[in-house]
Amino acid sequence: MSHQRHFSDAAVKEPHSVSLKVLRLTRPSLVSQYPLSPPLSSSSSITPPPPLPASLSYSPSSTNPTPFLLSPILALPPSFGSAYVGTTFSCTLCANHDIPPPIDGGPPLSVKTIRDVKIEAEMKTPSSPTLIPLLPPGNDEGTDLSPGGTLQKIVSFDLREEGAHTLVVQVSYYEATSTSGRARMFRKLYQFVCKGLLVVRTKTSALGLGKQGNRRWVLEAQIENSGGGGETGDGGGEVVFMEEIGLELEKGLRGRDLNFWGRGRGREKVVLRAGEGEEVVFVVEEEGEWDGKEEEEGRRVFGVLQIGWRGEGGGRGSLATGRLGTRVLRPREGGAVSKV
Amino acid sequence: MDRTQPEDGKGHKRTRSAVKATRPRSSTKGPLDAADPLAPPPATSQPSTTIPPPSSSSTTTTTPAPTPPSPNPQLIPQPTPRMHPSHTPRAASPLPRSPALSPTPGTPRRPPPGSTAPLRPKDFSFLLRPEIFHPLTPLNIPPAFRNSTKQPPPETPLPELLEKGHFRAAAISAVQTLTGTGRTPQQPDPSDHVRIFDLLYTRWACLTLINSTDLAAQEVKALGDLNSAFYLSEDPTSGKTHHLVPWGLRVLNVRLQAIGFGDLRRAVMSYYELAREARVKLGEAMGEHDNSSRELWRERLEDLGVRVAGTLVEMGDVKGAGEHLRGLKVGDGGKMEMMRALLWLRLGDVDAARGCVMNGEGRGVTRGEKVVLALCDMADGEYEEAVAKWRELEEEEEGDEMVMVNLAVCLLYVGRMQEGRALLEGMVDAGRSSHTLLFNLTTMYELCTERARSLKVRLSEKVAAMEETNDGWEKTNADFKL
Repeated sequence: MSHQRHFSDAAVKEPHSVSLKVLRLTRPSLVSQYPLSPPLSSSSSITPPPPLPASLSYSPSSTNPTPFLLSPILALPPSFGSAYVGTTFSCTLCANHDIPPPIDGGPPLSVKTIRDVKIEAEMKTPSSPTLIPLLPPGNDEGTDLSPGGTLQKIVSFDLREEGAHTLVVQVSYYEATSTSGRARMFRKLYQFVCKGLLVVRTKTSALGLGKQGNRRWVLEAQIENSGGGGETGDGGGEVVFMEEIGLELEKGLRGRDLNFWGRGRGREKVVLRAGEGEEVVFVVEEEGEWDGKEEEEGRRVFGVLQIGWRGEGGGRGSLATGRLGTRVLRPREGGAVSKV
Repeated sequence: MDRTQPEDGKGHKRTRSAVKATRPRSSTKGPLDAADPLAPPPATSQPSTTIPPPSSSSTTTTTPAPTPPSPNPQLIPQPTPRMHPSHTPRAASPLPRSPALSPTPGTPRRPPPGSTAPLRPKDFSFLLRPEIFHPLTPLNIPPAFRNSTKQPPPETPLPELLEKGHFRAAAISAVQTLTGTGRTPQQPDPSDHVRIFDLLYTRWACLTLINSTDLAAQEVKALGDLNSAFYLSEDPTSGKTHHLVPWGLRVLNVRLQAIGFGDLRRAVMSYYELAREARVKLGEAMGEHDNSSRELWRERLEDLGVRVAGTLVEMGDVKGAGEHLRGLKVGDGGKMEMMRALLWLRLGDVDAARGCVMNGEGRGVTRGEKVVLALCDMADGEYEEAVAKWRELEEEEEGDEMVMVNLAVCLLYVGRMQEGRALLEGMVDAGRSSHTLLFNLTTMYELCTERARSLKVRLSEKVAAMEETNDGWEKTNADFKL
């Protein structure tokens, strides 16, 4: 979010009375703490002394799981972070009626009246610009801002494309002094790059006919977290908690999940750190007996693979692959690799 | 590389990588490793290590050229020249060998013949050298604090500094005492390990409190390997050994050394080593029916277990931390549930976090459970519902800092930042000043105006005018994003 420009009627050189500030709203983070026993406390005491309050993330309370690292108090996002396809980009926009500081001991500048402040936002994606509705919904007439006042809005946008995105925010308002008034407007542009987080590779192979003479295939998928960071995963890079990997099949097909993880008791959590991958396997079979005919297009379509995950702090992400399938002309050698 | 290796002309040589040598060694204790009160500090087998001869002022040393302190303070103090585990056969009996190995005969490492050797105190003067300690810059302190009349005079006694939360001043004062500079009390005797370690702990604990953990991590390398027999002492009557370094410092040392060497896995191992010792002591206490000692060691053992989980989280292995917690029997009053829930929240597994506190019931009952459920709503992006939960918690118990801060954060996410800001400002007015509170409030200031700096400076003045408590009075520029 670097580049920003001002658009407005060129004749007006006077600085704007309204400023725009933004903060990307990723999930707030749990604050870490490193509890310490108080210095110079008698080492012969019978029980360990309570931790030094200054070493806790908030004033001592029954809810603090000291000496645990994580504590329930939350901190706002410290930085923009990375933006990934499949996640929701959320951002707060604040239009502020800034009071200009007096110039070098001069008389305080006359404060203007600011009326009808409106914020509009648009996301320019690599393919097309999209207008984003703002939350909370306010009146369309605009809001009057007293000096020091702020109009806050929140935008949410589902990121679906890789590449350069630009958040275009336009602020318009009516500025009035005791003698005159005029409508003013400016725009700010915030650029960021949206990257792919999960790479999915799939492969299908024929399994021969089932008991009912139905055709069967094995669908394997390899899901890799390409979310930056070092190889060791020591703090660097994105960590992905896989919430769901499911196959949405076409009509007339049923699938069997051969994996040991996912929801439910005794199943294991799948956590992918940067650079790590996970393999999943499904058996896909037709519901009825095979009539011996091949598909005319030479391709049997199974459906799509749906992947749902959570990022650190719980931010949701989801992806669907393209339509997966297999070439059926030579089923035994079937194999299609598709990359999302 | 190894300029501390003077054993030229000897029949055997050791190849010691300096880096390896200063790392905390994993413990491989055997029966021969027991501390030998007769023995001089093992370092004496290596004349080049920087443990100076005891009270060199009063002893005539014939060392031709006393080893100058290494220019690299990180590599010097090796009170523990015991070797890598693979050399155990030699390492097991390094002490009797030392005179023979010594290339500088006549160095008064051993007490004069006839003196009662077992009582010769250990010499910790290598921990009193000024070059170990870094100067602390006041430049990262906002002027409101730097120029405050609340700044303590230099002669303020250390306990008072700590009591009033002057942690930077305390860190400086501790070093002035250790090194015998400044107007602070007399430098401790090199054998007075109790006082030396108390001061060192004060120094390093305070550094971690003033955002200077990295400095502490460098300085703590001076201790070398705390597992060394050098740091053990044997009670001549009972024959039991005990560690000369207080427990708190040993625990802090684990984290600091791991940071200093950039290897957190080390910390997990070192905590396990401490835990092994705690188990032994716990067993002894149970054998002797010493209830208070048993309680003490049990609590220490639990504390270590929880710290291991935290280190795993820092290493990015949240799942591993969860597995580890499962094996712990810790705490009461829902502490374990809170820890597990926070872990899963960090990971993003919100269902599992809810599962920690719901146990099939509809809603959380205890305060901790309600807190977890509110956090879960936020992780799900259900901020409106979370606001309602935080409000309810706030009404139940007024003045809970965590609940109020979280409510304020949540308000920002639903577009009601002004309310959140007012809430946080009210907390500052009521005398709160935790790092998280200040960070969140200054972040809101940055959103509220193009000219946030003046708001931040005003906030720093307000906090500087607060009463000094052991919550920590002085803040850094980073606290106000200045």
